[in-house]
Amino acid sequence: MIRMFHVFKTFPNKIHALWDINIHIKKGDFVFLVGPTGAGKTTFLKLIYRGILPTKGQVIVDGVNLSRLKPSLIPYLRREIGVVFQDFKLLYDRNVFENVAFSLRVVGAKNAIIKKEVNEILNIIGLSHKKNTNPHLLSGGEQQKLCIARAIVSHPLILLTDEPTGNLDPETSWEIMKLLFKINVWGTTVVVASHDKLMVDKAQKRVIRLEQGEVVSDTKKGIYSQ
Amino acid sequence: MLRNILFYIKEAFLSAKKNMVVSLATIISLTAALIIVGIFLIISFNIDNFIADIESQLIAVAYLKDNLSEEVIKKLVQETSELPGVKEVHYISKEDALQKLKEDLKEHEEILAGIPGNPLPSSLEVTVTDTKYLAEIALQLGQYSEIEEVNYGGELTKNLILVFDFVRKTGLAIILVLLFIAILIMFSVIKISVHSRQQEIEIMALVGATSWFIRWPFIIEGFLKGLLSSLMAIFILGRAYLYYVEQAKMIIPFLPISLEQEFIIKIDIILVLLGIFIGVFGSMLSLRKISYEEL
Ligand SMILES: Nc1ncnc2c1ncn2[C@@H]1O[C@H](COP(=O)(O)OP(=O)(O)OP(=O)(O)O)[C@@H](O)[C@H]1O
Ligand SMILES: [Mg+2]
Repeated sequence: MIRMFHVFKTFPNKIHALWDINIHIKKGDFVFLVGPTGAGKTTFLKLIYRGILPTKGQVIVDGVNLSRLKPSLIPYLRREIGVVFQDFKLLYDRNVFENVAFSLRVVGAKNAIIKKEVNEILNIIGLSHKKNTNPHLLSGGEQQKLCIARAIVSHPLILLTDEPTGNLDPETSWEIMKLLFKINVWGTTVVVASHDKLMVDKAQKRVIRLEQGEVVSDTKKGIYSQ
Repeated sequence: MLRNILFYIKEAFLSAKKNMVVSLATIISLTAALIIVGIFLIISFNIDNFIADIESQLIAVAYLKDNLSEEVIKKLVQETSELPGVKEVHYISKEDALQKLKEDLKEHEEILAGIPGNPLPSSLEVTVTDTKYLAEIALQLGQYSEIEEVNYGGELTKNLILVFDFVRKTGLAIILVLLFIAILIMFSVIKISVHSRQQEIEIMALVGATSWFIRWPFIIEGFLKGLLSSLMAIFILGRAYLYYVEQAKMIIPFLPISLEQEFIIKIDIILVLLGIFIGVFGSMLSLRKISYEEL
């Protein structure tokens, strides 16, 4: 589903965010991406949804070489990839329901379908009772859930989440992890960038460890650090 | 499709509401610009009418000597119509001329009673494609031996036309400058609007909206602002025009000012199209490229 061949990313300020990355994430995988701050986790995720292009190397997503993807086709790639951003990127001028519905409106879905899908997802996530609330009135955990709802409402092939349990208490964090497992079980390939040692160790999933832009380890049923 | 359009319109209103003050300021300045454009259009159209009126009356009249044969006259008409700048040559026989004079005199035909025969000469009425040819044509006509005398519209009318022409051209230049400024205003306003909705745009791009899907709400916003401004401008202008024309006509009854429905509709249509054009074009300019790149 996601392949990287000799991927390098150097930003204009000469910072080498990623250095010779070779990775294969199969369809239906659940992968943790760990590493200290500045290791290149967010950069790694951005490469997958074509937020940025690699300086060198190839990123292939669902059989498409992103370096050769025409800009006009980027929207169609993104419809297959749900993203939960480190900084949420919620719309604070509309309510919870509309935030989730946004992903569907943008692809021109029918109102009836939007209503059905959004309500269904809000039920799963556990935010039904707050669907008319403005997101800035939600707790951190609830906002995180809302982001996940928006990312999965269009049933993407891939879900990328950046620090989904940052700043949350362990219980809420685990709740969110369970949600991600559930989504993974339904067939979505999930990549989770995380600092959260507790969660990573508890989850017993594949762990890719980045340090200063390089993959230093890639282990099945791994733990946060050796 | 309809679904999308409804979404675009909703987003457009959301955006306009979010920048209420800026939106109002745009509509007011655009209205003002359109009113000025409208004033110049009215002046320019009236001048056009007036000039066309005078120009249609500006002809050169060549009086012919008596007793010319039909062939000579035919040849003369043929030759003069081929002179540069000549639109049409119309032959008026002595009889035609007398008939016309009688008509002009109407109830005072007794004036003619004492005059024996037909003292009027036959003539060629030469209309021109442009008044600037008049003098030259008159000069050339004068060189024919068959032609007794040439008369043409005086210098005064010519100068009047020059002045009006100047006013019209200046008006056009001012309209163009205003248009440019109006587009610039629209451009920067939509830019502000785009900027204040940067987050929405970014999120739209991230969840898979096509660039046109992102653009439409802003284009509609520009369209609505342009339309609203032009309607306001038309309303204000219409009121003012009617009022001033009435005032003016009271003082100078034969003032060549048009109040025809057709004329007013023409100006209205131009202003609406202009308003919409400025709105939409300004939006397009500020949304040339939607970025899918992240920094
Ligand atoms: N747009 C950019 N321009 C310049 N440098 C950047 C840019 N984005 C990231 N970097 C740099 O690239 C490196 C990797 O950044 P990245 O955000 O991928 O780290 P991260 O692993 O996600 O960190 P964190 O855990 O703090 O989120 C950092 O040194 C960062 O300063
Ligand atoms: Mg990060």
